[in-house]
Amino acid sequence: MHRNEGSLDWVMVLAPYRRDADYLESLLSEHGLLVRRAADADDLCHQLEELPGLIVATHEALTPEVLEIVHAHLIGQPDWSELPIVILLDRAAPQTRIRAELAKVWPGSRHIYYQRPVATLDLVSGVQSALLARLRQRDVRDHIEREVELRHELNHRVKNILASVSSIFAMTRRGAKSLDDFAEDFSGRLLALANVHTAVFEMDGESLDLAHVADLTFRPYRSGNQSRIAATGPSVTLGRDAATTLALCFHELATNALKYGALSVPEGLVGLDWTVSPADGLLSIRWVERGGPPVTAPSRTGYGTRYLTAALRNLFGTVPTIAYRPQGLEFAVSGLLSRPSLNPAAHGVLNRHDP
Amino acid sequence: MTHDVAPLRIFYLEDNPLIIFHVEAMIEDLGHIFAGSADSFSELKQIINAHEIDGALVDIDLADGRTGPTAAAWLREQGIPVLFVTGQETIAAEYGAALGLVRKPVAAADLADKLELFRR
Repeated sequence: MHRNEGSLDWVMVLAPYRRDADYLESLLSEHGLLVRRAADADDLCHQLEELPGLIVATHEALTPEVLEIVHAHLIGQPDWSELPIVILLDRAAPQTRIRAELAKVWPGSRHIYYQRPVATLDLVSGVQSALLARLRQRDVRDHIEREVELRHELNHRVKNILASVSSIFAMTRRGAKSLDDFAEDFSGRLLALANVHTAVFEMDGESLDLAHVADLTFRPYRSGNQSRIAATGPSVTLGRDAATTLALCFHELATNALKYGALSVPEGLVGLDWTVSPADGLLSIRWVERGGPPVTAPSRTGYGTRYLTAALRNLFGTVPTIAYRPQGLEFAVSGLLSRPSLNPAAHGVLNRHDP
Repeated sequence: MTHDVAPLRIFYLEDNPLIIFHVEAMIEDLGHIFAGSADSFSELKQIINAHEIDGALVDIDLADGRTGPTAAAWLREQGIPVLFVTGQETIAAEYGAALGLVRKPVAAADLADKLELFRR
């Protein structure tokens, strides 16, 4: 990976005659190019590791040792790389033979020949266009790296979703009284998970507003334009994982209300509201049921309660309160928005690598 | 399930609540004690009490980034043995801080065997 981090935007000059090197360095520098010289064989090896944008080599530089060092570098290049090499030959040199030999000994590179004495503007524009081609290679490299990263991230997310579904399956089965019961609860939970995934993806793939999470989770409980779950609160941006967790919590609360609570009778209503305290960024969420049948605490802890407790303890760092008041269930939880789990900027490989 | 020996007190460092509450239930089914959870290394450091824990299960990626391996090393310094619980086996293999690895999705039999490694 380190080897791939070169900026590829500088010119390496290989010219054993000091006067040539001075001349090339000042000419190219004058035209805004970054120039470095390779002093000897060791220096050449070292500089090649730092990935030059291109090489400018004089005729005298083409010693067997240099040919071999550059050869070794070229055959070790990654697929995206094709190193441009500008070669300055004397007019009297055997052009064809040299070209044939370099084509053989330096594969994976593009050779641009000039005859000395060189028209300076020709040389400069040749070097500049070769460098532009090199920068396009760098773009390709960056895209390949990004794609590899995305594939790993995708694999990680798929595994995570499979693990989530596997947990939903096991825990739903454990509480189910019949196969029909199981099928209904399991598909409801899976649908809630799928809906929030779709919603996050349709936004920017990383975050979702709390109001949006409430809206998509309670959509099935709306009749006509009338929602029996009134959700109100300020805009709060949640990261992907926090949004998923809250959607699943809202789903549990809503299905519980539909089976046993306020939504099990036509006149029942639910109020969901949240506030953010300006002083410390404390997010507080409250769910209050009214107008349902008289409430009694359940005799055993089911999936919903168990999940709400575990999920919100993790997300908010505090245990939620669930009160089975006779007039209706009341649920509340609060936690600081600065917590890593609630802070969308703190999470996600994709976020971390964005500029 | 009954044990000839004392139940183990297990802490879980993981940021996916669905997996936590499932593993919590599995740990209790095995007759062990679920000693709490945290979703980030920073939270773990605040809330953990080394004297009340026999071992910790640790995921690789947490709410504060890829801090699982650092957390595992830190836990070991506190004298708490660690098992990685992850779907990222190759990444976990790069770190030597754990006694072993439980694959996700977590299977009860695998978990039961690996937890026994916490007995010293």
